[in-house]
Amino acid sequence: MRRVFPSRLMIGALGGVALLAGLWAGLLLLKLEIPSPRPDFKEVHGPLMVLGFFGTLIALERAVALGDRAGYLSPASAGLGGVALAVGLPILIGQLLLALGGLGLLALYIGASNRQASLHLGVMAVGALSWIVAVLAWIAGRDVALLVPFLAGFVVLTIAGERLELARVIRVSGAARIGFILAVGIFAFGSMLSLATVSLGVRIAGAGLIALAFWLARNDVARRTVRQSGLTRYMAVCLLAGYAWLATAGVLWLSFGALSDGRAFDAMLHALFLGFVMGMVFAHAPVIVPAVFRVAMPYRSRFYCHFYLLHASLLIRLVGGDLAGDRLCVQIGGVLNEVAVLAFLASSGASVYEARKSQYLLITKVKEPS
Amino acid sequence: MILPATPAALVTQKSVIELLYDVIDPELGINIVDLGLLRDVEVEPDGVVRIKMTLTTPACPLGPYITDEIHQILEQVAAITDVDVEVIWDPAWNPERDMSEHAKKMLGWNH
Repeated sequence: MRRVFPSRLMIGALGGVALLAGLWAGLLLLKLEIPSPRPDFKEVHGPLMVLGFFGTLIALERAVALGDRAGYLSPASAGLGGVALAVGLPILIGQLLLALGGLGLLALYIGASNRQASLHLGVMAVGALSWIVAVLAWIAGRDVALLVPFLAGFVVLTIAGERLELARVIRVSGAARIGFILAVGIFAFGSMLSLATVSLGVRIAGAGLIALAFWLARNDVARRTVRQSGLTRYMAVCLLAGYAWLATAGVLWLSFGALSDGRAFDAMLHALFLGFVMGMVFAHAPVIVPAVFRVAMPYRSRFYCHFYLLHASLLIRLVGGDLAGDRLCVQIGGVLNEVAVLAFLASSGASVYEARKSQYLLITKVKEPS
Repeated sequence: MILPATPAALVTQKSVIELLYDVIDPELGINIVDLGLLRDVEVEPDGVVRIKMTLTTPACPLGPYITDEIHQILEQVAAITDVDVEVIWDPAWNPERDMSEHAKKMLGWNH
């Protein structure tokens, strides 16, 4: 039997609480008439989803990879920070815990670089730095909406670094590496600039996102692995769809260059965070869940259901809703986005359960006296 | 699958590597032998298998998954009494040098 790690499960559960609370806050932002735990609850939707959920899981993944007990302080802090925001403790407590989580993640990357330094680790470390800047700016009183380039920076640079690392298997040329550095550099520069001038900064960051999407579409190993079958193909399909959304987000950021509530903002955020980032989560869960929690999660073809639902509902939201100006479509698409995330959780959980059950049956059968 | 009991003497470096072809990096759909992640495989007379391997990067989230898979597969062989997997970082993994021709072909290196 595989060894189960309760501390990892507990940290994962903290991330799960942040996700569920974030989804609830998301429904409030969609202006659905559901109870709100407190008046300002919906304001923490972004930090809950990006730092409380993605942040906790990414930091947990890194802590497991590094295998150092102290490394778990990062995901544990991020997870507790998410829960603190969810349950309504004074906001500074949640913010400080999240800041600690980001610092811990940066320390994890420094630890990894000490073993073997590389460009991709450097890019991911800048992602962690982006997380820290987002929280510090938030503590300093900056509006959550204005933190978006940094929240995006955390996830985008983390994913970009991972993909660069994998792209080595298809032989990335020197010119392609320079292209990558340029794309990431433009995005990071735009994000930084948004602190001083939002419009120009967001537009430049958008140009960086477009460049990165093209780089990924051209150089990512998914282009090759999509021709395989089963899990490998499923992951590649999720990734390629994600890159299309990344390019879409880039075009929206470049066109609108603003960070204030409204239809454009809704589209700018969700093309990126749902289409691209959640797509990556869907892709990697069948690999990361077994790696982190030491449970089998066999691939099932039904995983395509939540994949299609996520992307179809995002189209409804962005095209039928944000573009056409139909609020009902935004609401329907938004609710279905959340259904897709819940379906992903249910389907993944069922796969783990099925695998455990069949393993249990195998063990009891072997142990039966003949 | 439970493999039939094999005398310890029949467990060789070659037969262990043969089994490791079943440990697959799910993202690439390629096994760890063709990816060139193995650095050393040793079989001791008492049936203990010692493996030295590397990963594509220290932040690779797949590390624990892959070492788990190695244990799962090798521990099904009755003659293997213990499996010890050590992850080493020097020399760093180099796709050009370490990957097999088969892996390179699958990843389109010839195009």
